[in-house]
Formats: sequence, structure tokens, C-alpha cells
Amino acid sequence: MNAAHAHEPTISEPLTWDEIRARYPEQWVCLVEMDRVDEDNFEFRSARVVGHGTTRREPLDQARPFRDRYDTIGHYFTGRSAGPVLRSFM
Amino acid sequence: MKVARFDPSRELIVVDAQVWGPGGREKRTLALALDTASSETVIMPEIVDELGYSPRDGEQITSVRAAIGKEQGYTLRVARFASLGFAVPDFRIHVFDLATGWGIDGLVGLSYLRQFNYQIRSAEGRILVERTTA
Repeated sequence: MNAAHAHEPTISEPLTWDEIRARYPEQWVCLVEMDRVDEDNFEFRSARVVGHGTTRREPLDQARPFRDRYDTIGHYFTGRSAGPVLRSFM
Repeated sequence: MKVARFDPSRELIVVDAQVWGPGGREKRTLALALDTASSETVIMPEIVDELGYSPRDGEQITSVRAAIGKEQGYTLRVARFASLGFAVPDFRIHVFDLATGWGIDGLVGLSYLRQFNYQIRSAEGRILVERTTA
């Protein structure tokens, strides 16, 4: 794989959330074509992955070429939240 | 009455939310923690930057007292914000860099929640929500 190929935008086949979590464990992902069970909640039947990485920023950068094609992009973490909870008072 | 669902086995109450870009066309769907002890609704800077907002669009610089000290952020009016089954146009959020490691992109705080009556049914992983008329 050459450097140019490594930076080509890629989009996965439709995957379930369990499949996405298995393929990209403990990573942030950007999703398109989320086939929602209902519009108000997260659950979906399938989605395509257009970016993934260990930082919040990585998948957003990888998803940039798809912004013209998709108005809606999901940004989610495949692991479980961990760590101490902070309060945010202004 | 709307019903928002969450995973009751998680340490936080994490709900789905949407935030729209300045043109009102593009949006991001996110996982936010519902936090009744947060006065503000918080979104991470990466998300609003990517949607096309910048700190220059902000209304005011703010300081946040957190367990790790005092952090700076800013308030910003987004074209539209939605969560818990409802959407609000021209909604003020607090852009603030939360500590990493939570697996969330921000918080749904009282600035959003106070428009609703809601019942958190923790064991069931459901939040029953209705908009108040006031």
C-alpha cells in the first residue's frame, strides 16, 4: 500500500452496531446511512463507517470527503464510557 | 409524550442528540450524557468546528469550574439542537473540552432540560419526556 492509497477515503459495507464494535473496538467512528429503528434514539439496523480512530478528531478528518454526499454523520465511541465524572457548573 | 432510551448498564445516562451546522443542512448525531447537575448543555469543540462554527461565532468566553480546576470555554448559538425526541432552533450551547475517556461528545444539561418535564426510569433505561407549555 503506498502513501496515496493509505489516505484514500473509504466507506464500509452496511454493518450492525455489534459488527462495528467488533471491527473497531474502543475507537471513535463516523457513521453514515444510519438506518434508525426510530429517529429519536440511537439504535439502528445498519450503518456504514466512513472514519475510525482512537481520538475524537481522527474519524471526523477521515469523514470530511463524504460531507458533500451526506448531510448527517454520526460520531460515536464503540467502547464504554469510563473514568471519573466531572461536574460542569458555570 | 416522547420516550428516549438509554443503556441502563452504563455508568452514565447516555442519550442521542443532533446538532446542526450554521447553514441548517449538515448535522452530526452524537452521544451525550444527560446531566441534571450541569447548568449548561456542552458540546466538544471538535464537533462544532467540524460543522463550520468557530470561536469567532461565540457569544462569550466562559470559565468552568470542574474537579480538575478551572477551564475556559465559550457559548455559541447553534442553528438547531435536538435530543430526547424534541428539537430547538437557535439553541445556546457551551463549547468546552471535556476530559477524554468518557466516550461521549458532551452533556445535555439544564439549559435544555428545563423546557421539559421528564421522568428518568433508570432500571428500564427509558426517559419519558413532555414539553412544558410555559
